[in-house]
Amino acid sequence: MSYIDVLREAEDQVTPGASACQGCGGELILRTVLQIAGKNTILGVPPGCMAGAGSVGWNFNSGVRIPVTIPLLDNCASLFTGISQMYQRKGREDVNAVIVAGDGATADCGFQSLSGAAERNEKILYVCYDNEGYMNTGYQRSSTTTKGSRTSTTPLGSVINGKVQHQKYVPLILSMHGLEYCATASPSDMKDFVEKVQKGLAASKKGFAYLHVFSPCPTGWGYASDQCIAVARKAVKSNMFPLWEKDENGYKINKVIKDPMPIREFVQGISKFKKLTDEQIDSIQQMVDTRYAELERLAGKE
Amino acid sequence: MAERAYITPIADEDLYVLDTASWRVYRPVMDKSKCVECGMCMTYCPVRAIIGTDDKKYKITYDYCKGCGICAAECPRKAIEMVLEGGAE
Repeated sequence: MSYIDVLREAEDQVTPGASACQGCGGELILRTVLQIAGKNTILGVPPGCMAGAGSVGWNFNSGVRIPVTIPLLDNCASLFTGISQMYQRKGREDVNAVIVAGDGATADCGFQSLSGAAERNEKILYVCYDNEGYMNTGYQRSSTTTKGSRTSTTPLGSVINGKVQHQKYVPLILSMHGLEYCATASPSDMKDFVEKVQKGLAASKKGFAYLHVFSPCPTGWGYASDQCIAVARKAVKSNMFPLWEKDENGYKINKVIKDPMPIREFVQGISKFKKLTDEQIDSIQQMVDTRYAELERLAGKE
Repeated sequence: MAERAYITPIADEDLYVLDTASWRVYRPVMDKSKCVECGMCMTYCPVRAIIGTDDKKYKITYDYCKGCGICAAECPRKAIEMVLEGGAE
């Protein structure tokens, strides 16, 4: 069954009218993950865009057709440890415990509970949609924000020119936890994304599965809403967001880009990168090259 | 309000639905003669407003479409056009 047929046949579990922005990458990710996970799923959404967009509901109404809970920003993985354990003890191993969290709830606030759950190898699928900031509250910087990005807490000015530090590469950190499955995906490469969600769901029956998904944000980043997929595609093509996975056979790069696009081209047309200096672009390029070389080394390409 | 037996409310009946179609400024219109039924528009639609029909074709539904324009930008045959709402059909 091809990935298009999977998406064609699967029932949408999210409310049709969710208040995510026009052209939201996160909404596409949430819907795709839940379409594949299906009805037999319990969902956790920590505070963030997808919780604010109505997936956890409003006024006693729920925003999805499956059980959903909104924990605190920092305890989603530990709450789901309990939920997953309860289902195991009741003999309901068939239930998918799925978390769809933003990068703030993954990389910053929720990192200790996520790291703990990954180390204990709890039977959860954790999907992070990485829009590189706290978009729900007006784009404050997070630890996955790219260097030089204009955010409301790292504005462009005479003292700093956007975020000073490089981003934290969370998927690689998580993959070192000895978990069952870890992968990065992008909504531009849907086939790869669908396969990874299926693989992640299967792996979550045995242990912890982590998916890090690139989620461009038209409102925060400043580009036209129809360019969402194009921006995600450019991120993959420039190796800014390489697609790889780690399973029982070790690391594997899923999409090898023969002639990577320069970062200078990737940042074109995105307003948060508007005032990048040459020095900053070179610095990002160097970070991207170093990171990719490290991944290649792990995947045994050299 | 009925007592909930689950950890969270389950919304088969009380689904929270917002009228997102009212946000739309541009309406996607599909030119059926150019369409090759590849399904890319459905795959990338964040709202899932494009659905597959029984005869293996695709159809745009306007009940919740926010008019983001991803379908028009991603269509390999440029079969979808964004038309200003209130203008000619």
